[in-house]
Amino acid sequence: MALLVIDDLAKTYDKVTALTGINLSVEAGEFVTLLGPSGSGKTTLLMSLAGFTTPSKGMISLDGKDITHVDPEDRNFGFVFQGYALFPHLTVANNIAFSLRVRKWEKAKIAARVTEMLSLVGLDNLAERKPRELSGGQQQRVAIARALAFGPRILLLDEPLSALDRMLRETMQKELKRLHRETGVTFVYVTHDQEEAIAMSDRIAVFNHGRIIEIGPPRDLYKKPSTRFVAGFLGENNFLSGHRADDDETMVEAFGTRFGFPLAKSREWPGDSLTVWVRPEDIRIGQAIGEEVGFRATVVENSFVGALERILLRTATGEQMVATLRSEAAVAALPGQIIDCRIDPSAIGVLPNETSGL
Amino acid sequence: MKPRRIIEVGLPRLLAWCLLGFLFVPILVVIPVALTDRDYLSLPQDGMSMQHFAALADWSKGWLPSMLTSAGIALACAAIATVLGVAFAVGAWAAGGWWPSLMRILLLSPMIVPPIIYAVGMVKLWARLSLLDSYTGVILVHVVLALPLTVLAIGASLSNLDQRLVQAARSLGARPMTVFGKVILPNIVPGVAAGALLAFVSSWDEITVTLFITGRAVVTLPRRIWTSIQDAVDPALAAIATVLLVITVLALVARALVEQRQRQRKF
Ligand SMILES: Nc1ncnc2c1ncn2[C@@H]1O[C@H](COP(=O)(O)OP(=O)(O)OP(=O)(O)O)[C@@H](O)[C@H]1O
Ligand SMILES: [Mg+2]
Repeated sequence: MALLVIDDLAKTYDKVTALTGINLSVEAGEFVTLLGPSGSGKTTLLMSLAGFTTPSKGMISLDGKDITHVDPEDRNFGFVFQGYALFPHLTVANNIAFSLRVRKWEKAKIAARVTEMLSLVGLDNLAERKPRELSGGQQQRVAIARALAFGPRILLLDEPLSALDRMLRETMQKELKRLHRETGVTFVYVTHDQEEAIAMSDRIAVFNHGRIIEIGPPRDLYKKPSTRFVAGFLGENNFLSGHRADDDETMVEAFGTRFGFPLAKSREWPGDSLTVWVRPEDIRIGQAIGEEVGFRATVVENSFVGALERILLRTATGEQMVATLRSEAAVAALPGQIIDCRIDPSAIGVLPNETSGL
Repeated sequence: MKPRRIIEVGLPRLLAWCLLGFLFVPILVVIPVALTDRDYLSLPQDGMSMQHFAALADWSKGWLPSMLTSAGIALACAAIATVLGVAFAVGAWAAGGWWPSLMRILLLSPMIVPPIIYAVGMVKLWARLSLLDSYTGVILVHVVLALPLTVLAIGASLSNLDQRLVQAARSLGARPMTVFGKVILPNIVPGVAAGALLAFVSSWDEITVTLFITGRAVVTLPRRIWTSIQDAVDPALAAIATVLLVITVLALVARALVEQRQRQRKF
């Protein structure tokens, strides 16, 4: 049985619907990320899990027991806040010991645990500092150590890395993964950064407008999204318009070429017009070989972005498309030239044209 | 010095010193007056004398008892107003929303209503409750007058405190009283201390309302001074002023020393 089960949860403020129909179960030891744009309800769900927000509807259960209305202090969930919320009047060691003192642990046990937590997050020699005497990254580690000290059932993290610079963020991502592995604690992690979500999570729940749009392992969501929203939100993507071929309903016509329904071949969609997506990294230059789908496009622009070259193409249908290529493959792609391009058919996605704004 | 520098730096500096002089020189005048050898307010003429300081210490003259009365009332008032101020300010801070703002306006009303009007009202009310000329009556009135000060001072301290500290503490297992005692209170000590001091001082020199609601039984220092001014201006007043001035200066110096030591410890 899953450790944490969220059943048809909803939260409405006076006029705003912050969450509706949230269903999610989290297994023990899992790293689940709630990913979505600003205002999509991620924090609201995390606050409901922590017990700081009372849901308007639905149930949260832990080990099969209803905890929807249990006080936050009785849930035994760790919480890492954006901006850390460390106790400014306490030293690092006393911040970490706070939950243990509240639980009336013995002095010796507290001291041992604090030492253990400090070395877990690599802050052994900063025990006597006050939070304001620490850098952002160090404060972050203290916040995590404090939330893990009492052995929480679940660790809830609300955009813990968003205040850090890029380099530090990447270090801390690895650090968090290591802590997750070493402690075996279940993590529920909120972020609006899709790269972070992909790099860290066992599963991602993608939020938009207070709903979960899709849930799955990062690879599945990236390779086989079933909604236009997820296809566009995770990673970079090209969206092109297509339609079913008039003469063969198993074929799709788009960007001046045609190919068989690549992903969900059996699915039947109403209407002819379709959305086709192709990831920039799946477009290659050269004549199509074997199964590959070939098409011709005009190079509009060619820009160097480090390891890769970004090429803006204009297809025969007049749509624009971005391709990222290794520099040596891109030398031939000069602006104004018409070039041959090819795509592995399994890398092309086809989605129904959605009428709703999901 | 170039003329421009004189205008830009010298002039404002001169002005600042003049202002300080204007504020403090009249206060300093009380020191020689307190040492006068005459029985009326004057500068020492044939020599200095400590007789007026001696008079202060003389119990039967009433200065000392009234000082003790005032100190007692001010301490009680500071204690009560601080406890109530902390309770209100912390409650309003934690709750948020519209009702704390409304309550705050109500609480601040003693600062807005002129004391004389308040005094007239209190006479009526205290007469009915038989609290006129009683310690309880005076302390209650002083508490009401001091509450806005403590609430403002403590509220200012709280406004710098991150609301999420409460959530952090609760997620770590702390119940509301623990959150208050271990997280909120330690972080607002300066505000609480300032509030208590303001409450003490406001009670210590409250005269308007006190005059109306006291008679023979409760004689606070301001009341005693008021009475003495009415017959003849006694140089003992200058002696009192000097004593208070010395206490104030000592307190400020002590505070500065403590602050400096704290700063040194920090770096
Ligand atoms: N206390 C509140 N009162 C009214 N509306 C609220 C409240 N808290 C959140 N909301 C609304 O609920 C919606 C979801 O907010 P939430 O904070 O959960 O978003 P989020 O996904 O965490 O966004 P972000 O990435 O910006 O943190 C928003 O439209 C927000 O305005
Ligand atoms: Mg948020």
